[in-house]
Amino acid sequence: MPEFHPGHWVESAVKWIQGHASWLLDFFNSVLTGLYNAINHVLGGAEPLVMAAIFTVLALWLRGVLPAVFVFIGFALIDSFDLWTEAMETLSLVLAAAVITIVIAVPVGIWAARSKTVSAAVRPVLDVMQTMPAFVYLIPGVMFFSIGPTPGLLATIIFAMPPGVRMTELGIRQVDAELVEAAEAFGTPPNRTLLRVQLPLALPTIMAGINQVIMLALSMVVIAGMAGAGGLGEQVYSAVTQVQIGLGAESGIAVVILAMYLDRMTGALNERVSPLGRRAAAKAAALLSSSRLRFLHYKPGTAVAMCGVLVLALVAGGLNFVGTGANGKQEAQTNVGKGQQVSMGYIPWDEGIATTYLWKELLEQRGFKPKVNQLDPGPLFAGVAKGSVDFQTDTWLPTTHKPYWDKYKSQMEDLGGWYGPTSLELSVPSYVKGVHSLSDLKGKGGKFGHKIIGIEASAGEMRILKKQVLKDYGLKGEYKVVSSSTSSMLAELKRSIQKKKPVAVTLWSPHWAYNAYSLTKLKDPKGSFGKGEKIHTVAHKGFSKKNPIVASWLKNFHMSEKQLTSLENGIQQAGQGKEQDAVRAWLKKHKGMVDKLAPVPGGPQQKGKEAGKSVNMAYFPWDEAIATTYLWENILEDRGYKPRVKQLDPGPLYTSLAQGQTDFQTDGWLPTTHAQYWKRYKSKMRDVGTWYDQTSLELSTPKYMKGIDSMSDLKGKGAKFGHKITGIESSAGEMKILKKVLKKYGLDKEYKVVSSSTSSMLSEVDRSTRQHKPVLAVTWSPHWVYNKYPMKKIKDPKHAWGKGDGIHVTAKKDFAKDFPELNGWLKKFKLSEADLGSLETAIQNGGKGKEKESTRKWMNKHPGIVDQLAPVKK
Amino acid sequence: MSRLQAEHLYKVFGKRPKEAVRRLEAGADRDELRAEGTTAAVIDASFEVEEGQIFVVMGLSGSGKSTLLRMLNGLLEPTGGRVLFEDRDITALSGRELRRVRSQRISMVFQHFALFPHRSVLENAAYGLQVQGVPRAEGEKRAAEALEMTGLAGWENSWPDELSGGMQQRVGLARALATNAEVLLMDESFSALDPLIRRDMQDQLIALQRKLRKTIVFITHDLNEAMRLGDRIAVMRDGRIVQNGTAEEILVHPANDYVASFTQDVDRSRVLTAGAIADTGNGGIRMAKGGGRPTVSAGTPVAELFSPFSTGDGPIVVTDDSGAPLGVVDRERLLSALAEEPRIAGDDGPRPDSAEVSAGA
Repeated sequence: MPEFHPGHWVESAVKWIQGHASWLLDFFNSVLTGLYNAINHVLGGAEPLVMAAIFTVLALWLRGVLPAVFVFIGFALIDSFDLWTEAMETLSLVLAAAVITIVIAVPVGIWAARSKTVSAAVRPVLDVMQTMPAFVYLIPGVMFFSIGPTPGLLATIIFAMPPGVRMTELGIRQVDAELVEAAEAFGTPPNRTLLRVQLPLALPTIMAGINQVIMLALSMVVIAGMAGAGGLGEQVYSAVTQVQIGLGAESGIAVVILAMYLDRMTGALNERVSPLGRRAAAKAAALLSSSRLRFLHYKPGTAVAMCGVLVLALVAGGLNFVGTGANGKQEAQTNVGKGQQVSMGYIPWDEGIATTYLWKELLEQRGFKPKVNQLDPGPLFAGVAKGSVDFQTDTWLPTTHKPYWDKYKSQMEDLGGWYGPTSLELSVPSYVKGVHSLSDLKGKGGKFGHKIIGIEASAGEMRILKKQVLKDYGLKGEYKVVSSSTSSMLAELKRSIQKKKPVAVTLWSPHWAYNAYSLTKLKDPKGSFGKGEKIHTVAHKGFSKKNPIVASWLKNFHMSEKQLTSLENGIQQAGQGKEQDAVRAWLKKHKGMVDKLAPVPGGPQQKGKEAGKSVNMAYFPWDEAIATTYLWENILEDRGYKPRVKQLDPGPLYTSLAQGQTDFQTDGWLPTTHAQYWKRYKSKMRDVGTWYDQTSLELSTPKYMKGIDSMSDLKGKGAKFGHKITGIESSAGEMKILKKVLKKYGLDKEYKVVSSSTSSMLSEVDRSTRQHKPVLAVTWSPHWVYNKYPMKKIKDPKHAWGKGDGIHVTAKKDFAKDFPELNGWLKKFKLSEADLGSLETAIQNGGKGKEKESTRKWMNKHPGIVDQLAPVKK
Repeated sequence: MSRLQAEHLYKVFGKRPKEAVRRLEAGADRDELRAEGTTAAVIDASFEVEEGQIFVVMGLSGSGKSTLLRMLNGLLEPTGGRVLFEDRDITALSGRELRRVRSQRISMVFQHFALFPHRSVLENAAYGLQVQGVPRAEGEKRAAEALEMTGLAGWENSWPDELSGGMQQRVGLARALATNAEVLLMDESFSALDPLIRRDMQDQLIALQRKLRKTIVFITHDLNEAMRLGDRIAVMRDGRIVQNGTAEEILVHPANDYVASFTQDVDRSRVLTAGAIADTGNGGIRMAKGGGRPTVSAGTPVAELFSPFSTGDGPIVVTDDSGAPLGVVDRERLLSALAEEPRIAGDDGPRPDSAEVSAGA
C-alpha cells in the first residue's frame, strides 16, 4: 500500500492558523480563560468551610438531610487533604466547560431533532468528537493557546459535547407525537410548540444529557492538568510522574468526591427544574409524608434554600473583606510562635528591662506567649540554669557576671553578645566646664562637694571605683563615694541638673541618662575601670534546639548605643507599669525594627528591586530541576516577587518558553540532551547561563555486579541482563546518544533499550537492587540514585557519551528586558555538586509534596544563601 | 348553509403525489400505485357538513378516515381538492392564517386524549385559550366553565395522570369546547374507552350537542357508535367514500355489499325508527285514522315498540311531530324490519313463512 500522510496537511494547517488566525485564537482564549477565571474567583475566593456549607445547603435542597451530611463530610475531607484550592480550580474548569458545552449542545440537539438532514450531518461529527483521543487535541491546543486552562477546556468541551447533543435530540424526538399534533391542532406556532410542549417534556432526557456532559468533563481533568490547567488534574499528573502514590490517591479521592456530588446534584436538579420532575417529586413526597422518618427526607423549598445560599455567600464575602484577605495572609505568615510559651527574667537594670520588654513585644507580635519575671541576679541565673527561665538578656561578661557564669555554665548556653563594649565611668553634666577626664577631677573636689554619687554598694562598679579608680587617679582623700541606689543616684543627678549644680555620678554605658541629659563621660586614660564588657543573652542549655527560630533571632540580635539609650529613655519616661507601651512607641518610631530583629523565617526580608512582579517558572520532574526550581521559588518569595511554578513535560515546557508564557526554567541540558528543543525554538529563547557543568551521562549497574566496570565489559554479558537496558523517556537526548554509544561498543545487537520514564527506570532500579538482581539503567550525574542505591557508573573509556552537558537556565526571549534584576542573579547562579546533592537529598528525605518546605529547611541550614544568590544592591 | 365542505379531496404519500392524483382521476387502481411505492390514502372524497350537525366518518383501519380528518384543519395538506370552511378555502390559507383558524374556529379531540402531562387539568383545558392570547385569568375561568360542562367540576387542580381514561377524554373535550370553536373534529375520541364509559361519553356528547349545536366531524370504526351519534354517516373504504347518508338509509339501503356486511352487526332496533318501518300505504293510514290504538311518534326507536306489543295485540299508530297519523306498525312488520335481510321501506312484500329456529339463533 503506498504511503499517504495526511498528517503533513494537519501540520501545515496548524502552522497557517497560528500565523493568520491569531486574532481568532486570542478571542477564544480570552473567552474561555475569562469564564474560567470568573468562576474560579467566586468558588476559590471564599473560605473553604463556608463554601462547603453552601454546597451542603444545595444538597439539602436537592436531595435531603442525609445526602447533605455526606456532602459536607466529603468537602471537609477535601479541605483536610489540603487540596481545597485545587478542587475549586477543577470545579471551575468543569463548570466553565459544562456551561459552554450546554450552550452549544442543546440548540444543536434541538436543530437536529427538527431536521433529519442536520441530524444525519451531525452524527459523524459527534462520533469523531467522542472517540478521537483527547491528546490529539492537546497538541495543537497548547500550540494555539499555550499553557493554561484553555487547551484543557477545549479538549473537555469537544469530548463532552456529544452526549449533550444526542440526548437533547433524543429527548425531543421522543416526545409523544400526538402531543405535538395536539399543540399544532390548536394553532400553536412551531417554535412555541418547541417551547411549550417539546422542551418541557424532553427536559428529563436533556438533563440526563447534561449530567453526562458534566461527568465527562470531570473525567478530562487529568488531561487538562497536563496542559497547565491546574487543579486536581495537575495534582494527579504530578503524582503519577513523580511516583507520589499518596498524593495521587488523595487527589483521586477528591476527584471522586467532586464527581459524586455533581452527578447526584444534577440528577436531582431534574426534580426541581422540569415540570415532570416536579410532579414525580410531589408524588413521592405525598407517599412519604406518612412515614416516621420524615425528617430524614426533609427538603427545604426552593425559596428557603436560596435564602440559605445567599446568607452563606454574604458570610463568605464578608469574611474575605474583613480579615482573611491580604492582611490575614500577613498575620498567618508572621505567626511564627503559634502560641508557644517563652519565659524570660530580668534584673531591674535599665538595659535588662528595656531589652526584656522589647523581646516580650517582639515575641508577642510573632505569635508567641512570653512570660516576664523580675528577679535578682542570683535567682535569675539559677532559674536559667534550671530551665524555669528560658533566657535572659542582661548578662555582662566577662567580668560583671563572671561568678554566675562559672557556677552554672554547664547548664546554660551563651547566645552571644548583643551590645558592646560597655563601659563604666564617672560622668558629669556637660555644663561643668573643664572636666573631661578622670584626671581632671583632681583638685576640683570642692566643686562637687567632695562627693561622688554612687549606686548599690554591692555593684561591681562600686568595688572597682573604690579599689582601683580612686587609687589610680589619686582621688582617695578628696572624694567620698556615696553608696545609695541606682534610682537615688539618678534622682540626685536630675536634681543637680535642674539646679544646674555640678555633680559627679557613677554611671555606665549604655544608659538612658545619656539620652535624657547632656552629660560628659570622664575619660579613663589609665583604663582603671577595666575593659568594656559585652552584654550577652544567656539561655538555658538546649534552648536553641527547642526553639531554633527564637535562638537565631537572639543570636543575631544587636543594638547600637543610641538605639538602646533611646529605648531606655522611652521606658523611663513612660513610667512604672507602662514599659510595654513605651516599647511599642519606640518600635513605631523605628520602622522595620520588628522585621529586622525578629525576621519571619522565609518572610519579608530584603525586597528585590523588582519585587511584586509575577514570575512564571516551569519544570519537568527531573530532580535537579525540582531542586533548583523550588530553591528559586523560595528566594524569589523572600525577595518579594510572586513566583508561579508549574510542572510540565519537556515539549510543552519549551513551547511555552518560546511563547513567553513561562519566563524561565533551570534545567536545560545543553548542548546535547535538549538539543532538539533548543534547535527548534532558539530564536525565541535565551540561554541565561550555566549553573552546573559537571554532568555526565552514563549507564549504571549495581555494585554487586562483579566484573562490569566499563562499557567494554558489557560485551557478551547480555544474557545476564536479559538483553535489556532500562531507559528513560524516549524523547530524552540521552536515549538518542545511547544508541550511538551502543554502536561504538558493538553492543547494539546484543542489548535492547527499553524506553519508559525516569520514574519507571528508578522503580526498576529499586526493585532490582532489593532483589539483588542484575539491572542496567540509563542514568546521569548528578542524581540521588547513587546515594540511595548501591549503583556504580559504568566507565566509558572510548568517550562515546561525549562531553557532559552543562545545566543551563533557559528563558524566554525578552527575559533580560522584563526581569533585569532576576536575569543578573540567574546569570551568576552557581551551585556546587555538594550543595546540589545535599539539596536533592533534603528534598528526597522531606517527602513527596513537601519540596518547598524541605528546600526552605535546607536554606535555613545555609544562612545567607538568599543574599548570596540574590544580592540586593543598596 | 354548510359549515364545512370537502371537494374532491385527495391525499397521496410517496413519490410524485400530484401525478398519482391525475392517474387516480383517470381511473388507476390504488393497488397499482401501491406497487410503485405510492400510497393513496384518500381518494376523491367529497361531502358537506351542515351547521349543528354531527357528521360521522366511519371505516376500518386503513380506510383513510383519520387522514381525511386531518385535511379538514390543515394538519395534512391535501394533494388534490380543497376544503371550504364557511365558503373560504382553508387549503389556500397561509400558515399564520391557518393557525388562527385552528385556534379560534376549529378544535380537535384526540383518540389518546393528548393531554399535556406537565400541565394541570385546568391548564390543559385552557390551552387553546392560551394560544389565542386570552389573558390568563379569563382563560382559566372559561376553561373551568368548559370543565364543568363536561362534568369535571372540582378536578381543576388535578393532574392528567390522576384521572381515568374517561375523565381524561372529558378534559380533552373541555379543551376543545373552551375555545368556542364552531367546528369540532373528533378523531376516534371514544375508541380508547371501555364500553360503559363510552356510552356515557356518547350520551354526554349528545346532550352537549343539544345545547351547543356545534358542527362536529366524528371519526370512528364502531358502527353502533356511528349510528348512535351520526346525523349523517359517510362510510369509507380504501380511501374512498362508498356511501353518505343517514343511519337508517345506510342500514336499510346499503349502497353495496361492503356496507351491508358492515351494518350486519348493528343493533337495528336502536337505529330504525317507528316512522321508518311504518306502513304508510293507504291501508295503514286508514287503520291509523280508525283510532282507538296506542300511538308513538315517528322518531321513536323500534326498540321501544317491543313493550307495547308484548302487552297489546293490535297494530300501533305512528304519528308525526304534530300528532297527525302517518301509518301503522304491526307485529309482523316489526319483526321483518329486524330481520337480517334488509327490505326497502314501504314494501308490502310477502310475509316470510314461519320457520323453525334453534334457541341459540
